[in-house]
Amino acid sequence: MRQPVLLGLAGALALAVLPLVANPYLLFVGNQLAIFVILAVGLNLLVGYCGQLAFSHAALSGIGAYGTALLKVHLGLPFFLALPCGALLATAVGLAISYPALRLSGLYLSLATLAFAQFTLWVFMNWEAVTFGAGGFRVPAPSYPLIGAGLGTYYLSLALAVLLALAAASLVRSRLGRAMIAVRDGEVAAEALGINLLRTKAMAFGLSAFYAGVAGGLQALMLGYMAPESFDLFHMALMKAMIVVGGLGSIAGSVIGAGAVLFLLEGLRAFKGAQEIAFGSLLIAAVVFAPRGLAGALNRLPRWRESYLRRPARDAAP
Amino acid sequence: MLEVEHLAVSYGPTRILEDVSFHVPRGRVVALLGGNGSGKTTVLNALTGMVRPRGGAIRFGGQDCAGWRPDRILRLGLAQVPQGREVFASMSVAENLELGAYTRRDREGVRRDTERALALFPRLREKARRRAGTLSGGEQQMLAVARALMSGPRLLLMDEPSVGLAPNVVGDMVAAIRALREEGLTILLVEQNVGVAAAVADSAHVLQAGRIVHSGPASGLLDDEEVLRSYLG
Repeated sequence: MRQPVLLGLAGALALAVLPLVANPYLLFVGNQLAIFVILAVGLNLLVGYCGQLAFSHAALSGIGAYGTALLKVHLGLPFFLALPCGALLATAVGLAISYPALRLSGLYLSLATLAFAQFTLWVFMNWEAVTFGAGGFRVPAPSYPLIGAGLGTYYLSLALAVLLALAAASLVRSRLGRAMIAVRDGEVAAEALGINLLRTKAMAFGLSAFYAGVAGGLQALMLGYMAPESFDLFHMALMKAMIVVGGLGSIAGSVIGAGAVLFLLEGLRAFKGAQEIAFGSLLIAAVVFAPRGLAGALNRLPRWRESYLRRPARDAAP
Repeated sequence: MLEVEHLAVSYGPTRILEDVSFHVPRGRVVALLGGNGSGKTTVLNALTGMVRPRGGAIRFGGQDCAGWRPDRILRLGLAQVPQGREVFASMSVAENLELGAYTRRDREGVRRDTERALALFPRLREKARRRAGTLSGGEQQMLAVARALMSGPRLLLMDEPSVGLAPNVVGDMVAAIRALREEGLTILLVEQNVGVAAAVADSAHVLQAGRIVHSGPASGLLDDEEVLRSYLG
């Protein structure tokens, strides 16, 4: 098996035995890490591999989270149904906005998805009859066979993170994955080879939205509480930081980036104001000193060939 | 094999091609010459379905394919080497070639065509696992040609393959085009470099402001004062 996969599985194994020794806080951090990994891997599929700079990921994870939680609260759907339904709802919304949005490119795509994200937040806050408004609402604890709610959600998140990261790693080597990278590296050449640009981008958007939806649903289960501000622009910036620091176009980078951002986030928990400054500095440092992210450094290792890193703009051909 | 009749293309209100007609006979290399902005690339883009013609007919092997989707035209046997190479920089040489066969399902044929492409460009075989972005300009151009061959085309459209290449590499490119012609491939070559066109093409058409202003055998191009002047001027 390839090195990155082995290291990833070793990390997952370490997280799997963590509950034996950890206190509840560490358990929470471990669970959050698994969710961040799903978010980062999903966002990297769209931004890093397919090259579409969208700002809708946090909002789509919100749709997955609200979908999961509200299906339980309003309709009494059990979580093992509500979670996949929430994820599919996010996927459907993602696909629905992708068709108009992807006719735009570059900055215009960013602006359109940003507008969608703000609109989604507005719905969470103002459609009070359904979403309970800005104050948020409690999500009942899920129940799992044999183990308690906290531990159950922890292992569910961990399993899904491993599964979805492996799926993404194999996807990017598939026909669709290659087409996504081709669209990013050269749209004209991709189209000349018979790759349908709009359909490929839409597939990347839908897949990415599915990952966001799953992560959102897990977030709802873990926190037991839902509020709109969990899916605002700050969280979008966090996700962007994960993939930029980790490396655009790398699954291993997504995982490492998610860890790095979480580490910083938790380290600065006592200094709320400093968090945003720290993330700004981290992003700037990554762009200036490591434009290929941490995955760029990993690529120097012998026999490490995992990523399809996006070339930094400055050494692109004129 | 390819017949273009009264082709017209507009981008919005701007007319790029007014009335372009020419033929590419089977097994021949035909050059399309013209200065910047004369509409050369637009002709290719119309042929491959990247832009929709406003009028005229494009017949390929007797089939009228004007306005078809790019992937359908590619399956018909018309492949393009885009301008400026555009290799997929983050992917290996081998992966670039695989993507060239994106529309194909016949594994055996794809393997055969990979062999053929690598035999034509041995440098690519040595560097099959290298990332395409790390290749030299000449190697990238060869990769772009090899990638286009992977769709198994009957007609290859080449958009300025010599641009930005060192003189000795241009020589390699000329040799490669000749080798392809030997294999019986039909080629439509868009060029600004009259020397390259004269070296490989059978006949040439000169495009100016969206019209064909001169047609004739390619061998006489370099001697024809009037053509050179109108083409350069």
